[in-house]
Amino acid sequence: MDFRFSDDQLNLAEGVRDYLSGTHGPEVLRRLDEHGNRDPAIWQGLVQMGLTGLCVPEAQGGLGMGLPEAALIAAECGRACLAEPLVDTAFVGVPWLVAQGQLGGLEDVVAGSRRIAVAHAINPWEADGDGAALTSVDPLRNLSVRVERSRDTSAPGVSTTLDANGEGDDLLLNLGALMSAAQLVGLADAMLDQAVEYAKIRTQFGQPVGAFQALKHQLANCSVAIEFAKPVVWRAASALEHGLESAPVHVSHAKVAATDAAMLTAETAIQVHGAMGYTYEVDLHFWMKRSWALCGAWGDRAFHLKRVDDAVLGGALPIGPQHTFA
Amino acid sequence: MQLAYTPEQQAFRAEVRAWMQAHVPKEPLVTLECREGYDQHVEWERTLASGNWGMVTWPEQFGGRGLDLIQWLIFEEEYFAAGGPNRANQNGIFLLGPTIMEFGTEEQKARFLTPMAKGEVIWAQAWSEPGAGSDMAAIQSKAVRDGDHYVITGQKTWSSRAAFADWGFGIFRTDPDSKRHKGLTFILFDLNSPGITRRPIRQLHGDTGFAELFFDEVRVPVENCLAGEGQGWNVAMATAGFERGLMLRSPGRFQATAKRLVELYRQNADKASPAAREAVVQAWGATQAYAYNTYAVAAKIMAGGKIGAEASLNKIFWSELDRAMHRTAMQLLGAAAELKRFADGSVNQWLEGYIFSLSGPIYAGSNEVQRNITAERLLGLPRVGAG
Repeated sequence: MDFRFSDDQLNLAEGVRDYLSGTHGPEVLRRLDEHGNRDPAIWQGLVQMGLTGLCVPEAQGGLGMGLPEAALIAAECGRACLAEPLVDTAFVGVPWLVAQGQLGGLEDVVAGSRRIAVAHAINPWEADGDGAALTSVDPLRNLSVRVERSRDTSAPGVSTTLDANGEGDDLLLNLGALMSAAQLVGLADAMLDQAVEYAKIRTQFGQPVGAFQALKHQLANCSVAIEFAKPVVWRAASALEHGLESAPVHVSHAKVAATDAAMLTAETAIQVHGAMGYTYEVDLHFWMKRSWALCGAWGDRAFHLKRVDDAVLGGALPIGPQHTFA
Repeated sequence: MQLAYTPEQQAFRAEVRAWMQAHVPKEPLVTLECREGYDQHVEWERTLASGNWGMVTWPEQFGGRGLDLIQWLIFEEEYFAAGGPNRANQNGIFLLGPTIMEFGTEEQKARFLTPMAKGEVIWAQAWSEPGAGSDMAAIQSKAVRDGDHYVITGQKTWSSRAAFADWGFGIFRTDPDSKRHKGLTFILFDLNSPGITRRPIRQLHGDTGFAELFFDEVRVPVENCLAGEGQGWNVAMATAGFERGLMLRSPGRFQATAKRLVELYRQNADKASPAAREAVVQAWGATQAYAYNTYAVAAKIMAGGKIGAEASLNKIFWSELDRAMHRTAMQLLGAAAELKRFADGSVNQWLEGYIFSLSGPIYAGSNEVQRNITAERLLGLPRVGAG
């Protein structure tokens, strides 16, 4: 029993954080939103760090890591409000394909020349697909109308969907929900950081507004929500990695906890920014809108709460002090 | 990340489970906050000590088992799953014991720790004063050196267990010219010393768990001072750190409450509101989150890390979780929530628990103070009044 990430895992996450904070700042999001021009070097950097192959078996040229590592990196993608399809491709699509034994073409994913957009019955639209674009409140989230069958998988750089077997597939749903939850805790961390930084520099009544307990206590509440959502996400990742029968409950628990933490932090962060929080000029809204989008993706709060409810009140899941890791 | 128990840990769990099943009283004890209940709980401490289960995290040389934190968590899970009573010895196990181990002389360790481990001496804590609650540095009770004694004069209040306990510990102002955190000394005293008057405080449930203590020229030997004159604040902060940190409230206690809440929901499902239903499901989720976080912190400490200001997050989380779970139970009980005993004569444990849960956000450093600590030390926000 050791509920810790290893130093290697933490170093990897820190490397991703450093890379993204250096190359994928708010100015990238603004440029994308206003002009739509994407810098291919950002994706190439992610590929070079091995992240597209994080969950690809070593025999196919990947790093052969598991879902806890993927969730840790997904949280960093959330923290950076990453506008590249890394999570869907490498942490949802790849683990699903590997679990089905569909290993063909994974070398191209590792190389970054093939990206995967995943469709599932629970999502009315697919992200980063290549169909007719829909406009999302998150200007960086490219949505398509969901298609029912797989598309051409041969062309590099063209998005593809999993085939119709993916529809209603529990593993795909759980992977998508888990990685959404992981991104949400990273997003929440970043929104809290932004609110704290603003509260330190904005002065009123002769002092930084962050010295007022009315703000401190709201921000402390966000910290509580986020720090107690994170271990739920890591636990869910571990349960899914090891194929526990109870894994779907833990994934849903993670999605609910991360959703609640992100929504609380988004609203609090806007409030702490005051009127500035209502402007396009402050970066916060990019993170907030991504949070909204992910809260609804791969099963919304009501869907996941019901899955937990069914297991806990229905009696299928053993509960109580002796069943912490059931 | 390895979220499975080793065979040794599983065997240990089985050992605890067997002992608890054989020894935990079948009927719940009377509340610790009255004479009869206190005596029952002290008797239970002695039963635990007879099986060497009293101070499991203490080193063996002081009467413990030297368990690591994962074993401690397993012990606590089994303890609360078996319905183990609240611990009369809480102040000794988690507050004073570790403090004496860290700051005490060899003579003090020998003199105080063994009787504590055996449940022979029950300790009260005496921090707060009428003018020093959240602001503990405002302490005014004096201890004046007179030869090889201190002469203590002053008043302590909200002193947990002091209505019935044997000994007490607290900090006193030994330097009359000192201010705030300086000039304070950590002193242990026999509650039956001449000059000490205990005035039990009747709490809102009608019983008397804590007390006021009046000191009228109470003579305490100098060797009862811990870590030297003037070191009181540092020692008290270390003690408060133990309290707020990992070990004051183990997850098993709350997971047991959540499980009972689910059972209560099932009994009342036909008349429960959708909001109460969601609150029950969230109770399971939050107690699990608290357990995962505790396992994560335990792993960090076992790997050589420390728990710092994040202890404040813990304290906020468990205390408000406990209150929320009991509030939900009161809603599920409907009109019966007000009964001290149900029609069948059984004690309404939910009412007792709800009343007790209201003290959680206040004691061990109020949650307002914890939120300030979180904001200032974890998030780096400026201190109040900073310009």
